Amino acid sequence: MNETSSETNKEKILEALRVSVVEIMSTMAMSEVIYTGRETVDNFYLSKEVCGLVRIGGAHEGMIAISCNLELLGVIVSSIVGLSVDELQRDDLLDGAAELANMVGGGMKTKAQIPGVALSPPMSIIGGDYMAEWKTLRATEILTFQMELGILQIHASL
Amino acid sequence: MKLLTIDDSRTIRRVISGIGAMLGYEVLEAENGDVGLRVLAEQHDEIGLVLLDWNMPGMNGLEVLKKAKADARFAHIPVMMVTTEGEKDYIIKSIQAGAIHYQTKPFSQEEMAARIMEAMGMGGV
Repeated sequence: MNETSSETNKEKILEALRVSVVEIMSTMAMSEVIYTGRETVDNFYLSKEVCGLVRIGGAHEGMIAISCNLELLGVIVSSIVGLSVDELQRDDLLDGAAELANMVGGGMKTKAQIPGVALSPPMSIIGGDYMAEWKTLRATEILTFQMELGILQIHASL
Repeated sequence: MKLLTIDDSRTIRRVISGIGAMLGYEVLEAENGDVGLRVLAEQHDEIGLVLLDWNMPGMNGLEVLKKAKADARFAHIPVMMVTTEGEKDYIIKSIQAGAIHYQTKPFSQEEMAARIMEAMGMGGV
């Protein structure tokens, strides 16, 4: 793949991610979300309380992560499954973070329409004190979304 | 009549269970294809619709669908795919293997309720 087509694929993926997040939050979580912008950083660090990850493989390789604090994840999962935040167990939050990453990745794959792209099963991490790093030479694009109770971010190393 | 959701995501199983309950159905849950086929074998007389994920550990949804359609005891039970995979190739393979509907995630409660009602022969909402 030449540099131009790789860059085109990257932009398609980023746009598909932006649209997917808004769609997932409005249909599944019935929550308003506003895309507030994108920044580029030279590493792939995650340190918020919640992250859900999916690896992109095949025709375009990379990593996508959703990232937010635990309180916001609780509200999102609560809205999706129809239980109060207090009723949610830690396993519910782990599964919820993984399924959100899965839906964001799946939505991206469908919308970006790049032939030969595959996704790994999702993985989730929840904790008050951790740092996670993916070793990559590629830059990471961070898409930021404002929700009523906090900020949700998508980290995409593509 | 009962519904059976086969999905490795507890979140999605709960969503579907909630929608099924709202429509008056008991919803059985299976976290993978093996468990789903076992539940089908044990309770096929009571199951009116299977909602089946594609990407799961072990057998994928298409393999589960093919096994279900190859078993005379429950080949007649309608199967709806419920998956993040939205590409045409996946949809065609599912329909060719016998799925009656293909619902991509994310979905709204109303959309899923309408799909279930249609599949259960009750028309749209």
